[in-house]
Amino acid sequence: MGRLRRSRTHHGIRDNSRKFRTRAYTKDLDQIHDDLKGENFAKLKSQPIDADKTGLGQHYCVHCARYFPNDDQLQQHEKTKLHKRRVKKTLEEPYTQKEADAAAGMGAADNGKRGGSSHQSRNAEDVKMQ
Amino acid sequence: MHITRCYFCSGPCYPGHGTMFVRNDSKTFRFCRSKCHKNFKMKRNPRKIRWTKAFRKAAGKEMTIDSTFEFEKRRNVPVRYDRNLMATTVKAMKRVQEIRAKRERAFFKNRMAGKKDQERAENVKILQQNIELAPTASQRVKNQVAKIQEQKLDQMEMDN
Repeated sequence: MGRLRRSRTHHGIRDNSRKFRTRAYTKDLDQIHDDLKGENFAKLKSQPIDADKTGLGQHYCVHCARYFPNDDQLQQHEKTKLHKRRVKKTLEEPYTQKEADAAAGMGAADNGKRGGSSHQSRNAEDVKMQ
Repeated sequence: MHITRCYFCSGPCYPGHGTMFVRNDSKTFRFCRSKCHKNFKMKRNPRKIRWTKAFRKAAGKEMTIDSTFEFEKRRNVPVRYDRNLMATTVKAMKRVQEIRAKRERAFFKNRMAGKKDQERAENVKILQQNIELAPTASQRVKNQVAKIQEQKLDQMEMDN
């Protein structure tokens, strides 16, 4: 049997479209990847008391970039699937513009040599290929 | 004129097209169309989305390591205009394109090398499993299937 239902019928879900506005932007995976590095991690784990943040900013999950009201809740959160899935994602090497360029068949940028223009010869080399 | 590459799909972003997103740490992301921008906002990893170039390269569907990829790059060194240099560069661009196309064709051919045999084996398997559903199948096909089954039996006996 073929498909009975029309595809692409989910565009009108208001909550979803609002969630993905840049106004409600949350940390990206590459930022979190940086946060996980030793020094940053320690800093985020011992933040100064901030009354504007949930739980005075004392119970922070670095992987999910989320504040919790108390330690119990944080520990409960760490047992969830949501958190575990997130951990897996953050441990991967983050995607960069460099990778996008490489995928398009572009090499690394040529910034020339310091203190002298040897560009003429380099260009000639390029042209001579094969 | 500088044509950047889309962060998500690696397609070209021509001036005046697409969107640029500047994150609050001043890092910029360029997108060739709203499709890529939306997918980025959903925090999808381009490496895992099948229609992006990054996926195709990461999954081994396209050539990744090749000397022809070394030519197109951003050059931040000014060059004085020289007519001869320009002419040879344009010529070289065409030649590189040719060579790359040739290598890509060879790569594709190599990747698809075992495909026909695999498909045939799958078809035979389906036929063997559902031979009773094909009462009108020609005698030739039936004979073929019977022969293959016989061969299999022989081999099993040999193994035992």
